[in-house]
Amino acid sequence: MTFLEKQTDPTSPMHWRGDMQADYLYPNGWAGDRFFKNLRDKGTFLATRCPKCSKVLFPARLYCEDCFVEIPENNWIEVPTSGIVRLYTFAKLDAHWEPLEKPRCMALIDIEGTDGSILGVLDVEETDEDLTGLPVEALLRPVKEREGTMKDIVCFKPSV
Amino acid sequence: MKDVAVIGAGMTVFRRRMLETGKELSFLATKMAMEEAGIEKKDIDMVVMGSAPDAFDGIHMKGENLSDGAAGTGKPYVRVFNGGGTGVFAPIAGWWHVASGAADIALVVCEEKMGSCYPHPQTAFRHIWDPILDRPLNPNLVWLFAMEMNRYMSVYNIKKEDIARVAVKNKRNAVGHPCAQIPDEKITIEDVLNSEVMAWPVQRLDISPPSDGASALIFCSADKVRQFTDDPVFVSGVGWNIDSTMWTNRDLYFPQYVANAAKMAYKMAHINNPRKEIDFAEPYDPFDYKELHHMEGLLLCKKGEAPILTREGVTERDGDMPMCPSGGLMGVGNPIAATMGQKVCELYWQLAGKAGKRQIPGDPRIGVGQAWGDIMQMGTVIVMRRG
Ligand SMILES: [Zn+2]
Repeated sequence: MTFLEKQTDPTSPMHWRGDMQADYLYPNGWAGDRFFKNLRDKGTFLATRCPKCSKVLFPARLYCEDCFVEIPENNWIEVPTSGIVRLYTFAKLDAHWEPLEKPRCMALIDIEGTDGSILGVLDVEETDEDLTGLPVEALLRPVKEREGTMKDIVCFKPSV
Repeated sequence: MKDVAVIGAGMTVFRRRMLETGKELSFLATKMAMEEAGIEKKDIDMVVMGSAPDAFDGIHMKGENLSDGAAGTGKPYVRVFNGGGTGVFAPIAGWWHVASGAADIALVVCEEKMGSCYPHPQTAFRHIWDPILDRPLNPNLVWLFAMEMNRYMSVYNIKKEDIARVAVKNKRNAVGHPCAQIPDEKITIEDVLNSEVMAWPVQRLDISPPSDGASALIFCSADKVRQFTDDPVFVSGVGWNIDSTMWTNRDLYFPQYVANAAKMAYKMAHINNPRKEIDFAEPYDPFDYKELHHMEGLLLCKKGEAPILTREGVTERDGDMPMCPSGGLMGVGNPIAATMGQKVCELYWQLAGKAGKRQIPGDPRIGVGQAWGDIMQMGTVIVMRRG
């Protein structure tokens, strides 16, 4: 039975080499369009307040998923580009499982004045200290380099 | 098994490359269905999501990604899909959630965002083939349908213009549809026959467009339905069936799998003579010839008879047996799974007398909807009736 033989060379069975080529353009979405244009042009964060449960949704969304209601126009608000570290890890491997040059701190940041959080890179050296609750501030790309994507947020830096 | 009724339906506009995310499209369709039913998220017991391959939206596990836009958060939620068959299969799954007694109210949401796949969703179709036998030849899906269409035409000696009639009828029917992507009041058979040849005999206007969109349906158990409506529309039968993946070994002139699915649904619905008992149908029409093929598969006429009935006007909206009164995929658009909007929501709107400009004259009481997918092998069928 072939499945009892140990296979060490993946190319040893006769095969045909294929790929699954597919490329994408991901539109930012209706709420995302406004959020990212504002980030690009004004360098600030936008959130939306649910008219029913009053939660401040961040990043700004078209609807509250709990109450399932649409956000009215005048419930868009500007919020600070700062927040507090809720969760974090020091990553040693990248997405392809290759070692990173130096450990990268990935964190979830609770954005001030909202009930939402965002994933970001934390600009800190590896440490044994507990970083939970650390106040941080977003560092954005220079205005001319911004494209209206998540990459406009370079990282979060500890607030001075 | 419990009887299952429909209490609300919703549908976004269908367009190429919309700004809205899949979640946002799902939300808009769901909200419309919930408003029609007069219910809130808390009233929904379970949610079914229908969406075809992840490769269109470009999000692996897109069912999970879409869940918060489909009122799924915090609820029993599942995604089902069988390619192009999904638009009818997702409501079948919604039906069994309620028929089994597991849910009193089940929401079904279908979504597709083909525009994200760039430059053309055709690149995603490149990967649905058998990787050993078919893909090394680098096939295009249109080639396959061209072969099937050619076979259908040659077995019954069907003229190309009798197939083009379907494209014309459906694009004209779509004129009354608020969601329609390519309605065309003035299109003629000559326009279709003069359009670019993709792979003979398939021409550009024989094909429905790729689209973004979403649709939603809300099912309710019969014992609870009277609090929502006095004149309910019920699901009276469902069927689904798959043929061999070895498509090369089948004669493609007749979709036997659709006939198998239809027989299953008709048996459940106690329909003995579909041609006489069914008032109208929404056969799946991603290509114009598929409407004819599926009409025959649904046993609504004899084999090879569909083009003749179409030529005689029987399948027009005011004909004896209207086909695709919604405007179908050919006129309203083809966001794969979200075509539940034409194939199933339309049955509800027609039977409830809510189809507006598209309303079939007379008093339609029984309709059948159908979808088709995978490598020409999956048939999904639903029968609905009024009262
Ligand atoms: Zn809320």
